[in-house]
Amino acid sequence: MGQNSHSPVLMAVWDLSVTVEDLGADAPPITVSVTSDLHIGGVILKLVEKSQVKRDWSDHALWWEQKQQWLLRTAWTLEKCGIQADAGLIFMAQHKSLRLGLPNGLTLRLRACFSGPVFRTVLGICKMLNIRRPEELSLLRPVEEKKRKKDKDLSEELHDLTEVPLTSVSRPCLYNGMPAHFADSLQTEKVYKMLSVSQPAPAPEAIAKLYRPASVVDKAHIHSRWLDSSRSLMQQGVQQNDRLWLRFKYYCFHDLEPKYDVVRLTQMYEQARWAILLEDIDCTEEEMLLFGAIQYHINKLSLTEPQTMTSSPAMDDLDSALQGLEVKLDGAESSPQDMLENLTAPELNDYLKIFRPKRLTLKGYKQYWFKFKDASISYYKSKEESLGEPIQQINLKGCEAAPDVNVAGQKFCIKLLIPAPEGMNEVYLRCENEEQYSRWMAACRLASKGKSLADRLFQSEVQSILSFLAMQQTNPNTHTDDSMSINTHSLVSPRYSKKYKVKQLTPRILEAYQNVAQLSLTDALLRFLQIWQALPDFGISFVVVRFKGSRKDEVLGIAPNRLIRIDLGVGDVVKTWRYNNMRQWNVNWDIRQVAIEFDGNVNMAFSCVTADCKIVHEFIGGYIFMSTRSREQSDTLNEELFHKLTGGHEAL
Amino acid sequence: MTHCRHFGLNTCYMDDIDAMFSDLLGEMDLLTQSLGVETLPPEPPSSSSKEMNFSMGFADMNVESLNELEENDLDALMADLMADLNDTEEKLGGQKEAEAPHTDLPPASHGFSFYPESSLSTPTSPERGPNTFSAPLADSPAPILSPPTLPQHAKLSMEEIEAQMKADKIKLALEKLKEAKVKKLVVKVVMHDGSSKTLMVDERQTVRDVLDNLFEKTHCDCNVDWSLSETNPELQLERGFEEHENLVDPLSAWTRDSENKVLFQERPDKYEVFKNPQNFYLWKKDKKTIKDMKDRDKELLVEENFCGTSIIVPDLEGVLYLREDGKKSWKQRLFLLRASGIYYVPKGKSKTSRDLVCFVQFDNVNVYYGKEFKNKYKAPTDFCFVLKHPQIQKESQYIKYLCCDDAWTMNLWVTGIRIAKYGKSLYENYKTSMKKAAITTAWTNRTAGTTSIPSTPSPTTKAKASGQANGHAPQPPAEPVAKVGNAPPPPPPMLPTQILPPPPPDPVLPPPPPPLANKKSPPATSVPRQLPSLPTSFPPSPTSMANLPPPPPSLSQDDSSESPPDFLPPPPPTLGFGPGAGSLPPPPPVSFLPPPPPDPGFPLPPPPPDPAFCPVTNRDSLPAPPPRQSNIGAGAPPPPPPPPSASAGLQSTPSVRRTGPPPPKRTTPPLAAPGGGDFMSELAKAMAKKRGNQ
Repeated sequence: MGQNSHSPVLMAVWDLSVTVEDLGADAPPITVSVTSDLHIGGVILKLVEKSQVKRDWSDHALWWEQKQQWLLRTAWTLEKCGIQADAGLIFMAQHKSLRLGLPNGLTLRLRACFSGPVFRTVLGICKMLNIRRPEELSLLRPVEEKKRKKDKDLSEELHDLTEVPLTSVSRPCLYNGMPAHFADSLQTEKVYKMLSVSQPAPAPEAIAKLYRPASVVDKAHIHSRWLDSSRSLMQQGVQQNDRLWLRFKYYCFHDLEPKYDVVRLTQMYEQARWAILLEDIDCTEEEMLLFGAIQYHINKLSLTEPQTMTSSPAMDDLDSALQGLEVKLDGAESSPQDMLENLTAPELNDYLKIFRPKRLTLKGYKQYWFKFKDASISYYKSKEESLGEPIQQINLKGCEAAPDVNVAGQKFCIKLLIPAPEGMNEVYLRCENEEQYSRWMAACRLASKGKSLADRLFQSEVQSILSFLAMQQTNPNTHTDDSMSINTHSLVSPRYSKKYKVKQLTPRILEAYQNVAQLSLTDALLRFLQIWQALPDFGISFVVVRFKGSRKDEVLGIAPNRLIRIDLGVGDVVKTWRYNNMRQWNVNWDIRQVAIEFDGNVNMAFSCVTADCKIVHEFIGGYIFMSTRSREQSDTLNEELFHKLTGGHEAL
Repeated sequence: MTHCRHFGLNTCYMDDIDAMFSDLLGEMDLLTQSLGVETLPPEPPSSSSKEMNFSMGFADMNVESLNELEENDLDALMADLMADLNDTEEKLGGQKEAEAPHTDLPPASHGFSFYPESSLSTPTSPERGPNTFSAPLADSPAPILSPPTLPQHAKLSMEEIEAQMKADKIKLALEKLKEAKVKKLVVKVVMHDGSSKTLMVDERQTVRDVLDNLFEKTHCDCNVDWSLSETNPELQLERGFEEHENLVDPLSAWTRDSENKVLFQERPDKYEVFKNPQNFYLWKKDKKTIKDMKDRDKELLVEENFCGTSIIVPDLEGVLYLREDGKKSWKQRLFLLRASGIYYVPKGKSKTSRDLVCFVQFDNVNVYYGKEFKNKYKAPTDFCFVLKHPQIQKESQYIKYLCCDDAWTMNLWVTGIRIAKYGKSLYENYKTSMKKAAITTAWTNRTAGTTSIPSTPSPTTKAKASGQANGHAPQPPAEPVAKVGNAPPPPPPMLPTQILPPPPPDPVLPPPPPPLANKKSPPATSVPRQLPSLPTSFPPSPTSMANLPPPPPSLSQDDSSESPPDFLPPPPPTLGFGPGAGSLPPPPPVSFLPPPPPDPGFPLPPPPPDPAFCPVTNRDSLPAPPPRQSNIGAGAPPPPPPPPSASAGLQSTPSVRRTGPPPPKRTTPPLAAPGGGDFMSELAKAMAKKRGNQ
């Protein structure tokens, strides 16, 4: 080391030893001679020279293990950084691989930034995954699962994206409907599909095995796991290959645009779906069934429908117009007048049995010749008399059609509740077999919505009724089409799986399904999210706190527009404060207390029990940041403002 | 049938789909024209052909008890009918032009709106009637069945254009076919002052359309509270229709003998939630906070709950009384409102979501206010609301009755349920209403401002009348009115967008002297009624507004911000009908008159009814009533309403008088419910009866 001899000794030269991570854990640190006025960039240069490894070091930086901080300012001198000979520096890559748990339950391996603030890291991840509005998401430490089956944990499927270069383009160009960086290999294409198409329904046992918060306090504990957005992953003890969850954190979804937000929408749906399946958010039985029905619908469409997010309405119009005309043509021989009447209507004709419980005759089911036409059912004594006047004609518009089916018992009844001025008339129609039942049921369903048999939905309606019937079959081996047969228990939370048997649950989900069966995939996703967002508890993140002057723990609910004080004992909302009445909030980092002042001299203060007060501070500031977005329509993210609102004392 | 055959021949010879379609459309257009024009020409062809045409066009119309409609109703109705037809045609024509501007349109499609003379020349053969619409249908399939050609040539732009043209034509043809099936109802709307108006409503019209129509026909201030509601006297229920609803749907549920009514009135509860959202979304807060709410905070609340990806329903919960099925008792329960329905907390359970029991979901029910249930059902209070399927019209176990402690709570729940049921539509409706109201207010204010000088009314009126292209239900010239001495105000100058007809002559008030009438009677009648509700927005002087043309800038502005004519259901007679315009049916003042007094003994003013009909018979163009009667009895040929020629317009004096003594006996349900019968024959019967009586 002859350097010392010919450099002017203005400054003391000393040895700095730096561990180079890439050389392996066992490799000894590399020692370089430095002076205190050498800047960080110079140190790195020396280091690289000395390591004699030829490679791209541009992503590497110095990490000061002792102080838990990155030395990212390369122009700063060692003196300015306060580094002395005993500083244990590590030279390592800023981007490391991370196992990222997605809202859909799958895990990705990708390269994430370990040196920037987590907010920036999330931005990078979202850019790669093509999720817009990344400020709504964040990272949290996963809930440790009870490792009952260790082998299972090892076989966890990883979708590798570490080879995907991090793009710097703000909006990636699309190639084959996916961002170009996914189009590189078949494997990444597969990953993109996994990101943008909702996952098939999980097995009911799998749902039951997952962690479910049992109380508000449990839910509060989940929220203590959020990472600090203003500090880097390294600073928060996250190591290479660690597992983190990516989740939507702020429940105000700005500017959701199905056309651009395929991944975002899908993952949002997945997060909502799991929140419901795992009872993270409470809903009523009726709501659960509707959620189940939409899940079924989405599952079905995701399997069958290629990703056609857009279709031209004009073409649809023409299609249906042409179809309408073809339908009319079918009866070309009939007189023109008839055809006008038939403008939309093919018919169903069959012998069925009818039972009207309200009639005085208690004879039970009686057979007649039935004709279904133009949203109404007529019946005649026999087929031969069907040209004359019907015994009765029943208009089904606005009726409720419910299944009364027992596949094992070969009972295929349609229960109709038909509105009339005097009330609802109850009528049962009994069909011979599945096939007949599915056609008549489909017809009744459509008629109840004022649609006719000519509607394009008729065939798909028949199909879905058949597949629902198949689900109720006791022998699962008879299934021909595996994709269609879903155990309805996997569509509801374990509570309802326990409460109802499959054959009780299935008809009820089918009933709810009727209201959503006609939705397109995108619309179904949106509908699911809408119903989720309409739940009273939607968007509330809980933290256990102790209010100033109170002696017991209480729960603070943080919602997009308000704070809620909840009594732990009763579970009642005690008080609500809205952000738009908020004057200011302060965090006393020393005593870990949050103090908030509202209009009209209303003050409150609390200390946090389950979560760090930085998390609470970040939630409040974050929601206020989110509310500023709508007003300034610009697409650019005001990162500085976010940090200003959420940073706390470290950032200032 | 001649027509059909003719058409069939065409198809045989024509290979070219295109030509065939043009032909098809041409035929249809001719038919439509003949339909429309028939009511207009001063010299109608033989009565039999007229009848056929009418029954054809409106075979689907369900009308009940037309016989009992008043004369002026009939007149008003005919005006509607005409406007309706024009509307359709214009719409079709406009649509077509918009869609395929590059194509050469079949001439006929222009014809119906712009070239009246062509329509006049159209021969109408009586047999054509019922078959006309189906005839094209029979032939149209041929071209459509050979669509494989379309995709093959799709790449060539020329052929693309052709394909597009074909598609457009198919669309147009279908449109017309649909048109023939449109269901129409004749609806009697009870006005806020107890009078009534009869309107024709077709099944595609939303409540908003009908409201716009009523705004035109009345002189109300168009504020957002104006609404249409239905009452059910038997169940003692009332419900305001939502503006996006199709009016015909709920009305079709009424029974034949129904005493239900449609009311046109101001309902402050209609959009209260958007004016004072804190009352609903912060109902738990103390009264003072709610009262002192800043406007900005109100806006925020609306934004939060109605502008997000999901509509937020107010989280109502509280103890309500529930009427036990079949029993006379009312039982208290803790109810909660959620977006998915109303739930209650079962005994001994908590309020957590999973324990809630669903009481009702909103898919198949509407919410109604109950009236005087304390008496009727022994309810604890009179603040009741009801949930029922719209079809249910009589007492039934399927009706759910709930009772609240006070009006405030009831309002909270009913509004909450409406938000849950209608969601975003409610807000959209409100915004549309606001726009409508703003335009009207802006216009009236501006006009009022510019017209400080009381200009002579007559010139302006005349000037207007000439430019009245879009005026709906044209007004008679002022002169005849003055002659009568009864002084209904002259028609206001009409503008396409803001049509504020003069206030109806209020029969209760002594009519002002004729010369003053033009200026003073409108405020006299209208102000007292409107001030209480919306004192600020009411234009200072409706008179001046009526007399002066609005400043041009305001008009153009209004047009750019919104174009009401697009959704004004019955567009006014077009220029094409120029000569006919002046002679169109009844002067509005006629229909403005309140319903007859319940007491048949005292019809209002004395003039005997007979003279009223003299002029009618004088119009030699019209068949004399008496012989008509027998015809009607036989085959119900509906005569068109007196199609007065231009000169007849001047003779309309008697028609004004005629309104004085309305027929005393009238138990008519306001709506012509879906009943048997062809509208036109009913109409004919009604007219004949009228004449017979006199």
